[in-house]
Amino acid sequence: MMELDNETLDTGGEAPVLVVVVNSQEDLARARDQGWYRIPVGRAPPRIAAEFLAFYLTGAFPEQDRWAVKWVAPVSGYRVMTRLELLPHEADHPRAGERYYRVSLGPLRALKCPIPSRRLRRITFISTTLARLAEAEEINDLWLKSTAQERLWAALKQADADAERQYPLREDLPQHPADFALFGDGARVAVFVSDEPASPEGLRESQAVDYLLASELWTAVWVTCAELAADPQGWAAKLVELAGSPDLHQRNG
Amino acid sequence: MRLGFVVKPLVRPELRSHDGRRWQNRPHLSVSLAFLRDVFEYLSSAGITMYRLSSELAPYGTHPDLPQFHDQLAQSLPELAEIGRLARQMSLRLSIHPAQHVVLNAPEFVLAARSRADLTQQAALLDAMGLGPEAVVVIHLGGVYGDRDAARQRFVEGYYALPEIVRRRLVLENDDGRFGVADALWVQACTRVPVVFDNLHHRLNNPNGLPVREALSACLASWPAGVRPKIHFSTPRTEWLVEQRAGENGPWVRRTRWTYHADYVNPFEFIDFMHGAEGLPDFDVMLEVRAKDLALRQLERDLARYAPELAARLEPAVPGAPGDCDVEEAESSGEGHLRAEIPS
Repeated sequence: MMELDNETLDTGGEAPVLVVVVNSQEDLARARDQGWYRIPVGRAPPRIAAEFLAFYLTGAFPEQDRWAVKWVAPVSGYRVMTRLELLPHEADHPRAGERYYRVSLGPLRALKCPIPSRRLRRITFISTTLARLAEAEEINDLWLKSTAQERLWAALKQADADAERQYPLREDLPQHPADFALFGDGARVAVFVSDEPASPEGLRESQAVDYLLASELWTAVWVTCAELAADPQGWAAKLVELAGSPDLHQRNG
Repeated sequence: MRLGFVVKPLVRPELRSHDGRRWQNRPHLSVSLAFLRDVFEYLSSAGITMYRLSSELAPYGTHPDLPQFHDQLAQSLPELAEIGRLARQMSLRLSIHPAQHVVLNAPEFVLAARSRADLTQQAALLDAMGLGPEAVVVIHLGGVYGDRDAARQRFVEGYYALPEIVRRRLVLENDDGRFGVADALWVQACTRVPVVFDNLHHRLNNPNGLPVREALSACLASWPAGVRPKIHFSTPRTEWLVEQRAGENGPWVRRTRWTYHADYVNPFEFIDFMHGAEGLPDFDVMLEVRAKDLALRQLERDLARYAPELAARLEPAVPGAPGDCDVEEAESSGEGHLRAEIPS
């Protein structure tokens, strides 16, 4: 298993890392003491495979630990097992028969600098790299998205915008986050980045989303990768301005 | 007709085809299978139903000096069954093409034995996935070693020395310089091993002057009833190859070789080829081109535009040609690493 020392963390480069959520002290203890973490097969994200797992600790942890990625461990294997096989003492659990990926882990190692979430937010899974893990200043730096999105994120950071990436707008729809969310004095702006100009069908769908979000005081902005790539700084400025404008609802910038 | 691509998705370059860690870092088949599961998720979303697996799924699985890796398959049976279940659920046709060092007709005992071990492991992987007979292990006839007839005969002997689980899945491909379709069909007559027709190899290596349709027809007929044949298709790279050599002032233009595969499939050659195959049994097509799934998507669009009658035969059906740019597609939905991943 890969030796996970500070040098590896600094030089591991593109080695894939999956950031996972740890909701309880027990789960972290299992990762640390028994060397495994579980992902439900039926609700697994599109990417589960990685050479390392990093652990994002939720509000279930003490104040000094929570809402941050603090630990990372090398992956040595994946097994498909039932919950009952994983946790035999919880035989009566309603999901006892459900199947899970059991991710076998090497020793946990603390990151030199924990990676905090500024907004103490919920996340699901983040696929990233060891290089990103070593460089990230906060959770939003971990996402690996298109060049256009990366450039917009860099521009938003440069503009010191209060922004988040892959932000779940509704608790009941975590699988449909906004690519960017901006929190201004005047408005909350949700930015959706698409590959292509919207088709008439897509436009109807986006209008429905606009309406839904407007009812929850979000302003939706739809932009294509090509538009974003052409002028990321301009878009960052436009979005920051929009977030500062009260009661402004705007489509396509 | 299904279209497939080889091993590494370029539209989603962040996806790995296998656990490529060095032995010191203890790579494992089960990690490869997790990577493969993520690739399958992509294939499913992209509507791609044919895919060539990496031949390195079980890292160091038969390495003679690393016996600690030899039990991976037995250790990963539930995970292999799970990945096979996913493949069947997606109607995904899988295959493996073992690495160059697998030479079944090698006169050296050790190399031939290692080749048999490798082939056995590849076939066992497909068996453990519970895949049907369309999932095959593709190899070439091997080396000439100064005596063509003896080399062909040695392949036949090597074939019969293989375990039944390998013979059941083995298929033979004509190569681009040593053994052409006629040789492969000679072996087929001795062994019943099906022959995968490779169009570019046939153009490069056809000493018997077999017309394309005739050669293709004979190869398709070599497959057992109830198993749809597959072929390999590519077009040669025609761009000039410029390289800068250390210590030289100007660039060098390398002499081209038509064995190099093009980045994309020339759609007009493909269309002509398919029209030439009218009336022959249906077959699937593995695209052996450098742009891999980018090329597959482009060919789908090209067929929709230039040969809708062929596009109508694609499985799954392709919903028209959106006319977007591949590189933009890779940059946007492919998470933006394309430039780092273009094969050299």
